[in-house]
Amino acid sequence: MDWYGWCGKLVDIDLSRRKIQVIPLELDIMRLYLGGRGLGVYLVYNELTSGIDPLSADNVLVFATGPLTGTPVPTTGRFACVSKSPLTGTILDSNCGGRFGPYLKFAGYDAIIVRGASRTPVYIRIADNVISIEDARSLWGKNVRDTTAALKGYGSVLCIGTAGERLVRFASIMNDNTSALGRGGLGAVMGSKNLKAIVVNGSNRPRVYEPNLLRYRNADITRLLVASPVSSKGLRVYGTPVLMNLINYMKVLPTANFRRSTSPHAYELSGEHIHERFEVRLTPCYGCPIACKREIRSSGMEVPEYETLAMLGTSCEVTNLNAIIEVNHLCNDYGMDTISCGATIACYAELNNLQLDPKTLISLVHKIGTRRDVGDELAEGAHRYANKMGHPELSMDVKGLELPGYDPRGVLGMALGYATSNRGGCHTRAYMVGMEIFGKPKLIHRLSWVGKPNLVALLQNIFAAVDSTVMCKFALFSVSEEEIANALSAVTGIDFTSEDFIQVGERIWNLERLFNLREGFTKLDDTLPERFFQEDTDIRRISKAEFMSALLEYYRARDWTKDGIPTHDKLQALSIAGEYSHVA
Amino acid sequence: MWREFNKFGKKLVQYGLTHSHFGNMSVRVGDKMFITRSGSMLDELDENQVVEVHLHKPTSFDIIASSELIVHREIYKNTSALAIIHAHSPFAIILSLLIDEKEIIPMDSESIYFLHEIPIITGKVGSTELAHNAADALKDHKAVIIKGHGTIAIGKILEEAYVHTCCVEHACKVKYFVDLQNALTGRL
Repeated sequence: MDWYGWCGKLVDIDLSRRKIQVIPLELDIMRLYLGGRGLGVYLVYNELTSGIDPLSADNVLVFATGPLTGTPVPTTGRFACVSKSPLTGTILDSNCGGRFGPYLKFAGYDAIIVRGASRTPVYIRIADNVISIEDARSLWGKNVRDTTAALKGYGSVLCIGTAGERLVRFASIMNDNTSALGRGGLGAVMGSKNLKAIVVNGSNRPRVYEPNLLRYRNADITRLLVASPVSSKGLRVYGTPVLMNLINYMKVLPTANFRRSTSPHAYELSGEHIHERFEVRLTPCYGCPIACKREIRSSGMEVPEYETLAMLGTSCEVTNLNAIIEVNHLCNDYGMDTISCGATIACYAELNNLQLDPKTLISLVHKIGTRRDVGDELAEGAHRYANKMGHPELSMDVKGLELPGYDPRGVLGMALGYATSNRGGCHTRAYMVGMEIFGKPKLIHRLSWVGKPNLVALLQNIFAAVDSTVMCKFALFSVSEEEIANALSAVTGIDFTSEDFIQVGERIWNLERLFNLREGFTKLDDTLPERFFQEDTDIRRISKAEFMSALLEYYRARDWTKDGIPTHDKLQALSIAGEYSHVA
Repeated sequence: MWREFNKFGKKLVQYGLTHSHFGNMSVRVGDKMFITRSGSMLDELDENQVVEVHLHKPTSFDIIASSELIVHREIYKNTSALAIIHAHSPFAIILSLLIDEKEIIPMDSESIYFLHEIPIITGKVGSTELAHNAADALKDHKAVIIKGHGTIAIGKILEEAYVHTCCVEHACKVKYFVDLQNALTGRL
């Protein structure tokens, strides 16, 4: 059959048996789940049984592009990775820019599923229809930059550093040095399979059903991206560090492990200060006109993202810009999530009543990346570390995933978004900050619960669908589901309305929820660390009664039971086939 | 400061000079500007809905300021204005779409006295073109109409910019009905 947007096939690689298969995909499944996160969630849900060890050969890793990946639609040079997280035990998808996604598509594949585990270190090489498993013993022990340098002649390099090899539970997978599948320890899953890297190159562009109509749709999207101050004035000029001064001003900047929500030194880590100090060079992802990523021209080191500046900076109370640039570079080289790393160190500092300085921070990052000394305990993440030390209340996490750079006390939609996130404490499931702080697409009152439960559910659905196309979520500051559905229709030749698009996201969200319920998660896990209910900062603590009421309203908005369980009727309406014993 | 914004935001909406979500206001203080936030409702402004940005250079706060920030900046840089009100006044918009001239000459005595003529300018929302056109026209005028979009009025204080906004709408309303009556009676 003719495929447009999609390639219509995936590569199935069993590392235990050294077996490679190319498997055709079903159009019906792609229509329901699109690709990227959606396809990954569908495959992982159906491949895994409950209770498997995420760091065993039983786990699978799915790398999936979407129907828009590698097409001329702006900001679509992305792909997703889905697995069971060794940090949280939940299903976990991560999303990445760089060049790997488009290159995989150019090679002719929508996805790769990796199963089993190799006895010795290997890497996978894909060049159009030539796919091989190669010896990686000489690469084992190398960090990301050296590994990437060794393999870059073969195409776009996706690899782990020593953190992944040593099963740091928040190890990331890096693409071409600087783009990260950051959260939840996917790098450790890769390490547990003795898979050092995947390198891909390809020579064919995905086919577009209506190229002329797509040009018109793309002009629409580009016009909106240019008109939006967030993308054209903020991210384009400063990158994500544009947020630092703003978030501090709004009194929601994590400081001292969320004991405070403003920092008098925030300016040191701000986009404005970075641009005063350094000449930077834009390093955009494939096909992205926003170009939020940048590096320092003189050193070639990456400018840290806002989340990194907040979690390794103010949350650890280290606001020396040079130090944060260095630890960011180290995290990327070891292959570690900067959010979880910073949050875990902040938890460690509070628990041991330490005032960190730049030297100590850098030393701790080295220790975690190599699991040396106290680094071995911290490599387990804040949740496990704080529990082990007898102070679970000092870990600022949801479902085991450390919270990112927005104090939920001052953005109540975000609070609900954190609590109900299927992968744990994450800002990118429903970025309510967009509406509560930036006022995009509409400014709403950030300290009110009114309307938030519905809105959180809607944004979670939209974001899940966008993660499956795979478009950059930053485009959502400017572009609505309508423009994306139009582009999707022009690329695939299948008519997607806005409602169809949102329903794809709702389907994915419900299937993720089913995965987590199957693993034993309950409504009790849909909550926040007690600190946010007990302690004031510049902003008052969250009322637990109001939070619980909003949570129930959220379940109602999702047509779930009051225990947060999807009903058979709901699943049928979403065309989620199969028997699920854990539904109401 | 925000109380002034609150007062004139309410008046703008209350007297039909704009709808709650349309329009923006700013006040210049030295090298800084206080401007309403993007997405704020003009009749419900509080201290969190007004943001301070720099007049001469971009800052991170630009992304939460009104999307017409660039227009306000250009006006302050090129005129003696210390306050700006942008409203989507209905008769000003209607008249700008009905006539081909590049300016409106008020018929009523008050508007003639305050405004002389009112230039009609063009430019897309939040664009450099609009910013240049508005700043250029406001060097010699108290208010302009953006064709099919709304009004921009300047003053030394918000109250003066508000008076000029009222004046433009009043002038356009009077002219609209006089022109209509003349058309109906064949006097044009």
